[in-house]
This record gives sequence, C-alpha cells and structure tokens, in this order.
Amino acid sequence: MARVVVVTSGKGGVGKTTSCASIGTALAMQGYRTVLIDFDVGLRNLDLVMGCERRVVYDLINVTTGEAKLSQALIKDKRLDGLYMLPASQTRDKDALTYEGVGEVIDALKEEFDFIICDSPAGIERGAILAMYYADEAIVVSNPEVSSVRDSDRIIGLLDSKTRRAEEGETVKAQLLITRYDPERVEHSDMMSMQDIEEILAIPVVGVIPESPAVLRASNQGIPVVHDTPSDAGQAYSDTVARFLGEEKPMRFVELERKGLFSRMFGGRR
Amino acid sequence: MKRLREFFQKENDHSADVARERLKMMISQDRMQRSQPDFLPRLQSELVEVIKRYTQSEQSDIQISYHSLPQRAQIELNVSWPRNTP
Ligand SMILES: Nc1ncnc2c1ncn2[C@@H]1O[C@H](COP(=O)(O)OP(=O)(O)OP(=O)(O)O)[C@@H](O)[C@H]1O
Ligand SMILES: [Mg+2]
Repeated sequence: MARVVVVTSGKGGVGKTTSCASIGTALAMQGYRTVLIDFDVGLRNLDLVMGCERRVVYDLINVTTGEAKLSQALIKDKRLDGLYMLPASQTRDKDALTYEGVGEVIDALKEEFDFIICDSPAGIERGAILAMYYADEAIVVSNPEVSSVRDSDRIIGLLDSKTRRAEEGETVKAQLLITRYDPERVEHSDMMSMQDIEEILAIPVVGVIPESPAVLRASNQGIPVVHDTPSDAGQAYSDTVARFLGEEKPMRFVELERKGLFSRMFGGRR
Repeated sequence: MKRLREFFQKENDHSADVARERLKMMISQDRMQRSQPDFLPRLQSELVEVIKRYTQSEQSDIQISYHSLPQRAQIELNVSWPRNTP
C-alpha cells in the first residue's frame, strides 16, 4: 500500500522543502519507490534543492489539466533509481490546481510508488490544505521558535479537520520534525528544547535536525543534504527516516558536545 | 566588551522559559477558538442585544464564555447591571 505523506508547517521558511528532499532521498536509498510532489504553486523550489531544475518541462498543473501525461511530467532523479519528482507550476493562478485534479494524480501515483511525499506551501490557506488533503500521514516541521510552534499547532488542527481522512472520521498520523535546532542555545535556555515543543504540541518527535552549514552547502549544489553522509544534518535526516520506517533510534545532535576539561577551564568561550 | 556581553546574556537568560509559557497561553486560546461553533459570535451579539433591552447593562457587564466539554458544549452567561436604588 502506498503511503501519502505531507510535509507541512504553517510558517514559511522552516525547512519543509529541505526536509522533503532529504526524506525522499533517504527512502529511495532504502529501496522504496518514492515520488516528491511540489505543491508550492508559483514558488517552486523543490526542483532546485533536488538539483533537477534544468530538466523541468511539464508540471503538476499540466498533468491535472491533461496538457501532459504523468509520465512526461515526472523527473527521474539522476543519482537514485526509484526516486522521482513532480514539479510545481510557475503560474500565478493558484486556483488552477483543483482537489479533483490532485486526487486523480495521487491515485495514479499510488499504483507506481511506495511513498508519495507532498511538499506543502507555507500558510494555512487553500494551498496548504490542498497539499494535506489526501495525506495518510503528516510530518509537521517546526523550528524552536514561538511563531513556528504556534503555526504547527494550527496545522495539526487542520490535519484533524480539513483532510479527507478527517472527513471520513479517520485520523492523519502526525509526527513532529524539529529543524534548525541549536543545542548550545538550548543549553543556555535561549531556545526551547525538543521536550518543550513535544509537550506543547503533543505529537511524537520523529527527528531533530541541527542548525547546520551543511544544509546551505547542499542546497547551493542541488544535492539533498542526506547525501552528505559525514555531516550532522545528513545523519540526522537519515536517522529521521529510519524512525519514520519504524526503527528505534536515539536522538543525536540534541545534546551539547561536552568540551574537554582543558577548554572548559581555559577556553571558556560560550 | 566581554562584560557587556555577559550582561546581555544574563538579561536574556531563560528566554526559552518565557517562550514556553507564552506559547502555552496562545495555544490554549487557539484551541479553544478552533472548537467554537461558527454561530457563536452571532449568538453572542443577539444575547447582548436582548439583555440590553431589559437591563441597564453595559457591554462590559455582560460576559459570555464558551466551554467545550467532552460530551456537551456549554455557554456561561454572567450579567450584572446597576440597581436604581431610590
Ligand atoms: N537545519 C538547517 N540548518 C541551516 N539552515 C537550514 C536548515 N534547514 C533549512 N535551512 C535553511 O532555511 C531556509 C528555508 O528552508 P526551506 O526552503 O527548506 O524551507 P520551507 O519551509 O520549504 O520554506 P517555504 O515555506 O518558503 O516553502 C533555506 O535557506 C535553508 O537552507
Ligand atoms: Mg518550501
């Protein structure tokens, strides 16, 4: 059975697209046939993070309107077999995407793929609701920041009321992905901790991604950061996907690395 | 320079605790609003209208609060008005 997963947040710029690219890539690395759909109409950028922008010909809207076949619009990843993406349209007409159209595309993709990962646009309006409507599960991305956590709670409310599963009296399983986490600032009580956020939102944490220069480096190159296997963010994403697939994994990169006695006594820079 | 930094660090100490408390407040309010029925604002304004017709209440004398219980919903109405003591 194909699983439809929406990556969503409410607040913009928290790391949805970055997370989609790495989660999808890690699933494909494990041999799952995976497709990423960019729902950010007018602001497409999943193709940039995946490094396939030059191969975009058709987009999601072209498929829903019948201008292109699904097989023509899907872009195959150049690094991994079994990984594909469906780009968003650059049109300014956001209403061009319809519930029926998206439903047909997702039904067709379910025949071919194990995972369908939907990259939601920011906000809590139509675009975000359309991206979550057909989801079986959700990954709610949040930064350890008041406005982001509040928006995550709103999104959780929408998952409970505005999705097809909710309309049918079922639930969308939601898990929390905390990104841009800075253990040093948490240590100094300048940033809410993973436990704080988990308690407030009351959904289980599937992963914590540290604030990391590797993320920008990866997006500069158009290579999902999970390919950067030595990097902290890359490892955190691959742990996240292992947990998502049901494995037990302790959280890494959430504790401040203890400095040696020497640097604590003399180096003392916070 | 270092002193100055330490000063601000002290000032900002535990800002995460403040964030957490603010969030708890906001989110409980948000959740309450989400669970309210759509007709509530209209019901409220009609109730206020009726009450004012009979009493000398000011807007601030009329408090209407909504509670969502597991099995039932409830509104609590609190009205007071000045008595015309002779
Ligand atoms: N763990 C991280 N460490 C450092 N920078 C990060 C991290 N995660 C994301 N970023 C940066 O944050 C910015 C926003 O990320 P991204 O585009 O993934 O967010 P988004 O939620 O998809 O945004 P939008 O709401 O606009 O679609 C990017 O510049 C990205 O490089
Ligand atoms: Mg995005």
